[in-house]
Amino acid sequence: MTPRKQPEQRIELVYGTLDMLILRTLRWGPTHGHGIAKAIERMSDENLKVEHGSLYPALQRLQQEGWIAAEWGVSKTNRRAKYYRLTSAGRRQLLNETSRWERFVRAIAGVLGGARSEEAK
Amino acid sequence: MSWRRQLSKLRKLFNRQTPADLNEEMRAHLQMEEDENRDAGMSSEEAHYAALRRFGNVTLAAEKSRDMWRWHSIEILLQDIRYGLRQIWRSPGFALSAVLTLMLGIGANTAIFSVVNAVVLRPLPYPEPDKIVAAYLVNPRDPAFRTSHGIADFEAAHDRQKSFSSFAAVEQGASYFTWTGGKEPVQVPGTAVTAEFFSVLGVSPALGRSFAAGEDVPGREHEVVLSHAFWQQHFGSDPLIIGRTLTLDGASHTIVGVMPAGFHFGVRDNDDLWPLRQLPTPRIRPPYFLQSIGRLKPGVNEAQAQADLSNIAADVQRQFPQSEYGEARIEPFKNLIVGEARMPLIVLLGAVVLVLLIATVNVANLEIAQASARDREMAIRAALGAGRGRIARQVLTESILLAALGGILGLLLAYGGVTLLRALAPGGLPRLKEITVDGQVLAFTAAVSLLCGVLFGLAPLMHGFGSRRNQAETLRGGAQNLNEQRERRGLRNALIILEVSLSLVLLVGAGLLLRSFERLTNTSPGFNSRSLVSGLLSLPKARYPKEQHIVAFYDQLLERIQHLPNVTSAGLTLSLPPDLLNLTNPFFVPSQPPSPGMSPPVAVEISVSLDYFRTLGVPLLRGRFFTDSDRGRPDGILIINNTMAQRYFPNQDPVGQRIKTGDVSPDTPWEAIVGVVSDVKYTGLDSGPEPTLYVPYFERGWTSFSREMFLVVRTSGDPKALAPALRAAVQELDSNMPLADIHTMDELLSNSVAQPRFRMLLITIFAAMALLLAAVGIFGVMAYLVSRRTREIGVRMALGASRGNVMGMVLGEGLRIVLIGVAIGLVEALALSRLIKSWLFNVQPVDPVTFLGVSLMVIVVAAWACYVPARRATKVDPIVTLRYE
Repeated sequence: MTPRKQPEQRIELVYGTLDMLILRTLRWGPTHGHGIAKAIERMSDENLKVEHGSLYPALQRLQQEGWIAAEWGVSKTNRRAKYYRLTSAGRRQLLNETSRWERFVRAIAGVLGGARSEEAK
Repeated sequence: MSWRRQLSKLRKLFNRQTPADLNEEMRAHLQMEEDENRDAGMSSEEAHYAALRRFGNVTLAAEKSRDMWRWHSIEILLQDIRYGLRQIWRSPGFALSAVLTLMLGIGANTAIFSVVNAVVLRPLPYPEPDKIVAAYLVNPRDPAFRTSHGIADFEAAHDRQKSFSSFAAVEQGASYFTWTGGKEPVQVPGTAVTAEFFSVLGVSPALGRSFAAGEDVPGREHEVVLSHAFWQQHFGSDPLIIGRTLTLDGASHTIVGVMPAGFHFGVRDNDDLWPLRQLPTPRIRPPYFLQSIGRLKPGVNEAQAQADLSNIAADVQRQFPQSEYGEARIEPFKNLIVGEARMPLIVLLGAVVLVLLIATVNVANLEIAQASARDREMAIRAALGAGRGRIARQVLTESILLAALGGILGLLLAYGGVTLLRALAPGGLPRLKEITVDGQVLAFTAAVSLLCGVLFGLAPLMHGFGSRRNQAETLRGGAQNLNEQRERRGLRNALIILEVSLSLVLLVGAGLLLRSFERLTNTSPGFNSRSLVSGLLSLPKARYPKEQHIVAFYDQLLERIQHLPNVTSAGLTLSLPPDLLNLTNPFFVPSQPPSPGMSPPVAVEISVSLDYFRTLGVPLLRGRFFTDSDRGRPDGILIINNTMAQRYFPNQDPVGQRIKTGDVSPDTPWEAIVGVVSDVKYTGLDSGPEPTLYVPYFERGWTSFSREMFLVVRTSGDPKALAPALRAAVQELDSNMPLADIHTMDELLSNSVAQPRFRMLLITIFAAMALLLAAVGIFGVMAYLVSRRTREIGVRMALGASRGNVMGMVLGEGLRIVLIGVAIGLVEALALSRLIKSWLFNVQPVDPVTFLGVSLMVIVVAAWACYVPARRATKVDPIVTLRYE
């Protein structure tokens, strides 16, 4: 059992990034809601706080945009579950979002880095 | 949000079971988490709760996921509308009174707006109507004096102008053409026009052609264009009509074209014929009887065109040095058509807007009363989590729903109203045929309804409705917070004051018009109108070419008519009182010459037969009437009216004096005054006295002006019954001659006040509506107040207040508000009554009798509206009320 971080130490998701994270996890292949939640936690080293329930409104929205598609299947543990997969539109959207995010991070880091070096003076 | 999402939602909107499998999906998720937790060594109970904690609020997640599939705002709107309809259904009394009130207000507004829209706002029904202008002449030294073109002016302007792509003239004044060749001779309304008339308007005939340039000169064949209606009615829409001839006024006219259905010349809506007017070369500049119109060339503006025509007018003046018009004026063609109708219509629209305001105020008051009754409902909603905005939205949806219902019913009312208006409208309202309820009117009604709904919906919201302040209090079922009650009462009182003051304004308007109308109808036209009948004769040039033919016909006709049974006397006149004036003429009195450069004075001049004055009963004041012995006199003679005598011959006997008329020059012959008669009105009952000259119709030069004469006959019996005998007498002399426009003098007098009567009627109807609505409003508010204060009244009575005290208290409170309203209304009326000054005859806009009478009337009606609820208050049984609480 991997030790779980206490909820207080987890980071709240930046508004709007959940969509990107979902699309990202689906790049390795179709999976169900529970699988997506687990993958996000794993990938972020348990740093990101995702309430599992909050995935579902996001999944509806992504379906409406046509970025993901859903169909019922059977899980490894033999449970019926709804599997989501990335569509080609979703793949394009992921690329856009990722590059936008990277620019955003660079910009923020630049500002903060500048601030730090000024403090150092 | 992207369009794709909206589209998926749209699909789902009609398929309300949003992801039905969502619950299953989330259940599977929880199961998987639980499985995992158990695998990690938790007990099954622990695993279950840990999974739930990890997931968060399951219901909320499901709700939010479903919301993703909803069109939130539309669903809420539909929900509010459903709720609103239920609400209306639940309180039908309230809904019915609100909807009916709004129906009256919106209906009246829609009807009047349709008229304003058709007459004033809508562009004229011709292509590029803004390019069409009307041309006038002015005297540069006396620019207020404006006239239309004479032949010389039109011809010069037409031939030399550089600003218009086409330029035409129409002959002024109402005219009829006698059409012979059908079963019997008939008078057909029409306007004589010059060749380019139809190109100026930009409308081509549907059949055949319009006139070609240069066809309007004497000696060419007579041509005529027909209206679509005339062609349908008299020729059965015969497509082979072109080239056939029509005998008009005795001359054969070739039919060259038929206009499309619906075409009309705005100035004269009912024209059926447009004969080509052939203009002879003039020797003098007057008479100014041609209204010139032109279509501006592209890129030429009105100022340039005016300068162009002014140059030409100056040239024409040099050519005729006695004349004084040396400059031109250009005006939009629309002014010529709409002209004087604009202001009255806008005042009427203002009046109905006031009615609508009162209606809205009434409904607002109803809403406030309704809101008090629904305080508990709103408090519960708020307690259950409805935000203030959400409640406001709900209330506004309801009020707009009511307004929409009122608007729809109002539209139906307006359809009826417009039909009625078209039937009732007096002649002289231009573009009457264009009045319809069209898209613009619908948009207006929709906008007005929406605005009303928002306005009266805001009223209950403005004061506490849905506020959180005293939900707790309300929920506990306690009495309303006193402050809040007082605030609401303040708002209601303000609304009542507004209502009373607005209805007072309308009533003052109606009162002034009523008094004015009463004075107008009691004005004497200058003669005894009883037992008189008149008809119009017109002698075509083709069959009566010479003066002696005309005189012979008239003499024989009068002779015959005078011997008909029941006829007391008969006469002929060029102009018929009270308002059918046909000719004015400048004149020159040697003792009062006009100042240099100024236009000479102008008098009404009328050619009459010998017995005209006796037939009408116009008294002779001095001198003598015309007699048989005046026939064949070489010099001119005149009878003048009293006003002329007093103004131009003060302190002397005018009989025997000599004056000149027409274009005055040294060669103009003198005419001698032989008599003075009392004043007769020829330009309407409301006109002031005007100098008038009478000449015998058989005098040289006047006979040819007298081809169109009114026959007037006084009878000892019923004037209406005489018509067939008169018609027969005319036909016996000339079977091709109709006697047109037969009316009794009483009918003519009644027609001449048709416009003021129409205005007075409409304003009175609106004022009555306003007063009724205001009374209902006051009644509603007072009745509500009394019902709210039942307990207080009960306590007062238990403590010894008499019925009189209670009555006095309630009445006093109501009347105090009403009196404030009356005072404010009087100030408003003082400011606004000037707007209808030009409609008033012998009544001042600040007529004290009207102001006082109307104030009393409002107070009495309001007192009655307060009295009924006040009396109910006195019936309160203190024991019952005290026990009830």
